[in-house]
Amino acid sequence: MSMSTPNSAALVIDKVNRRFGGVVAANALDFTIRQGEFLAVVGPNGAGKSTLLQMISGVIRPQEGEIRLGGRRIDRLTPEAINALGISRTFQTSRVFPMLTIRDSILVGTQVGLIGGGRSPRRYGPVGELVSALFRLPGYRASAAAAEARAEEVMKMFGDRLWPRRNDQAFSLSYANRRRLEIARALVQDPDILLLDEPAAGMNPSETDELTEIIAELRRSRPSMTIVMVEHKLQVVRQLAERCIVMSQGTVIVDDTPAGALEDPRVIEAYLGTKRSAAAFGKVNDDG
Amino acid sequence: MLELFLSQILNGVVIGFVYALIALGFSLVFGVANIINFAQGALLMLGAFLTFTMVRLGAPIAVAIPLAIAITTATGMLIERLALRPLQNAPYIAPLLSTLAIAIIFDAAAEMIWTAEIQSFPSPLSKYVVFVGSAYLTGVDFLIIAVSLSVMAGLMLFLSRSWMGKALRATAQDPEAATQMGINVPLMRQFSFGLAGALGALAGVLIGMYYMSVFPQMGIPYGLKGFAAALLGGLSSIPGAIVGGILLGIFESLASGYVGEGWRDVIAFSVLLLVLIVRPHGLFGNKSLDALGGASGATGGIPTTSVVASMAGATGRTKQRLIEAPLLVLLGVIALFALLPALGGSNYLLQVGTQAAIYAVLAVSLTLLTGSAGIISIGHAAFFGVGAYAAALAGRNWGIPAEAAFLLAGVAAAVFAAVLYWPTIRLSGHTVGLATLAIGQIVYLVCLNWVDVTRGPMGIPGVQRPSLLLGGIDMKSLAAQYWQALVVLAIAVTIAFAMLNSPIGRTWRAIREDRLAARASGVPVSRYLTLVFLVSGFLAGLAGAQFAFLQNFVSPESFMIDTSIVLISMIVLGGLGNITGALVGGVLLALLPEVLREFAQYRMLAYGAILLLLLRFRPQGLAGTR
Repeated sequence: MSMSTPNSAALVIDKVNRRFGGVVAANALDFTIRQGEFLAVVGPNGAGKSTLLQMISGVIRPQEGEIRLGGRRIDRLTPEAINALGISRTFQTSRVFPMLTIRDSILVGTQVGLIGGGRSPRRYGPVGELVSALFRLPGYRASAAAAEARAEEVMKMFGDRLWPRRNDQAFSLSYANRRRLEIARALVQDPDILLLDEPAAGMNPSETDELTEIIAELRRSRPSMTIVMVEHKLQVVRQLAERCIVMSQGTVIVDDTPAGALEDPRVIEAYLGTKRSAAAFGKVNDDG
Repeated sequence: MLELFLSQILNGVVIGFVYALIALGFSLVFGVANIINFAQGALLMLGAFLTFTMVRLGAPIAVAIPLAIAITTATGMLIERLALRPLQNAPYIAPLLSTLAIAIIFDAAAEMIWTAEIQSFPSPLSKYVVFVGSAYLTGVDFLIIAVSLSVMAGLMLFLSRSWMGKALRATAQDPEAATQMGINVPLMRQFSFGLAGALGALAGVLIGMYYMSVFPQMGIPYGLKGFAAALLGGLSSIPGAIVGGILLGIFESLASGYVGEGWRDVIAFSVLLLVLIVRPHGLFGNKSLDALGGASGATGGIPTTSVVASMAGATGRTKQRLIEAPLLVLLGVIALFALLPALGGSNYLLQVGTQAAIYAVLAVSLTLLTGSAGIISIGHAAFFGVGAYAAALAGRNWGIPAEAAFLLAGVAAAVFAAVLYWPTIRLSGHTVGLATLAIGQIVYLVCLNWVDVTRGPMGIPGVQRPSLLLGGIDMKSLAAQYWQALVVLAIAVTIAFAMLNSPIGRTWRAIREDRLAARASGVPVSRYLTLVFLVSGFLAGLAGAQFAFLQNFVSPESFMIDTSIVLISMIVLGGLGNITGALVGGVLLALLPEVLREFAQYRMLAYGAILLLLLRFRPQGLAGTR
């Protein structure tokens, strides 16, 4: 394995297949996501977009094919091992920890950094951590304090959405805030690759704009972070992404810039089935 | 040799049919209401005892049986109405504990009405015998096979042909869609409990006839065997239940024939555990037992695997107040209690105080595991027992000084907890409750039957108390035992406090709340669950050693399922995952039997009732769930 290739953190999806019963969610998916790229994945419901993220993050395993990160095969690893390699994600259904406070929920994301492993050296084994926590050893406490500072910084990225509510339990949050919380939990890990599964779903237009601005700002401050975003709101895709993959029935039908991809007649056909409805396409989807 | 083998197989097949009946009741309720009904065994016991009583009062058995089945059916429906339907919006742990509370109440009530003794059960068909080679079948055996097969055929026809049956299946597959189609889903749930009651009562009567005896505590073992059979066969199919029941019957029958009757249940519960771990969807099933439970399951607002979150919580309707005292306050209160001997506390008070302290340690230990990490443990008495036996054996057999035995007990229980619960690491929700209940029963039965080491029911007398090398003070006095127990409690509280308020405790709670999200956030779940098993086991082991020193004696009966259930009641009473709550709940419930001295024999009844009422009216406990 060569670590000195110019694009060492590339994520390679190599002829990946995945079926659920008779439904084909991934059919010979084969493409490469370069380091630092902002890739949007769009397509009609059931196209296999979320399955793609589930496979990259280890929640679902491909039946055939490989997924490699920087040359290393990751499709047989557990979700926690993949996360430790620097891939963080959000879920389509907003999986927050309902009874935990917002602050604690975000701090959960810092745990893997605290104990080390994956892309950072191992710092605490189970027994070491037990002893350190029990006797509040200085090194462990310092790491925990650093994690808290990092969590504060991330919460404040979302303006007054999360920080003033940091001691509220996650179940009390609005739908849009749960999405923000999930993104914050991923960002606190300072990932190399960020997977966003419909981050703007359930947000009203002004909330969508606000989120778009946060992601754009993130893009400016962390240009080396790869972002893969599944999103139905095409306006968000146009504003943020550099590359756009359109999926239908488990395959990539178009791989282009967002502008190019979203104008493609094959895309319109995949979404609406008929070419005659093409005129309505842009409007319907851009309303979000 | 061959004769023994053949006759064990025959015995196994016959009793296996009964297990299949219990399994069907379990599967029906699980499918329709999405909960593991721990009261299934209680209904079985009720059916058997009602028949027994009516026959004793002079009713012909042919009248008594249908009547008993009818009453048990009604009881099943009543349980659904009173103990489960009101819990729709309660935390997901509530319905499971509610059925457990019902089981305990029925158990205790049966002991009061019919005494704890084994009663002989009328079995008129037993005298007819048919020989098969040198093995034989009695009339009861034929009755069991005939009745079981016709009931199963009837059930299959009912589910596939009748409107009610179809409605029941529709409810099992998608309650919301069924509601949209005009099916009265709560009624269907109630109906499934009724059917489970009928099947349970029938099974109870057949068991009574088969063994020609019944006893009030029969509910839990037979209920567990029903679960085992259902899981083995796969939850969703009737043929699966039959095959599962028969296989289980054969396994345990062979075990009792070749290893010894005492090991029959050990094998049955081990099968249950093995299936849960290795093949949770059973041999034929397609539906795995991954349900979280909850009266309406974990659907709705927020996806979560949390046992303490609730539908009400998810919609923000219940804002609870959390009462948590700081560590120094807790230690200060313990220090105040330490003054009791100086204030002239009687030996009786010191004895009670020591026991309360031991229970408080156990409650703290359990609240880490069940409250914080969300691993419902209905077998916590096992670690308590391992600690107590380790302390007793270390002194008696290996000549280890009592001081070292103290620490050894904690370490032994920690290692046991990690090893025994390790296989359950992939399980969550109510399934863990089933697995830990089985583990608790297995450990108890091993203590009872492994006579060479544990001396079985005779127990181990003469456990030496540690002197702790404190010159001048008689550390073997009762006052010293009391202080020693308080020191153990202070240590337990300090450890638990440090854990819960560290990143480790936060990680435990995250695993409880949403295991998948925790994993996707990089949390190595198995590492943190192993840690909680170790810490919780260690504290329970210390409590076990202290118990052995206090009593100077250990025997299996201190570590029965009753103890595990008392411990759960304690942490639910106090508030899950909350140390202050565990201490309050632990001390209150430990003192309860002393306060109600003249009603001491109703103690389990009181625990069951308290648990049931709490779940209904204050599921977050006195001090709040953390």
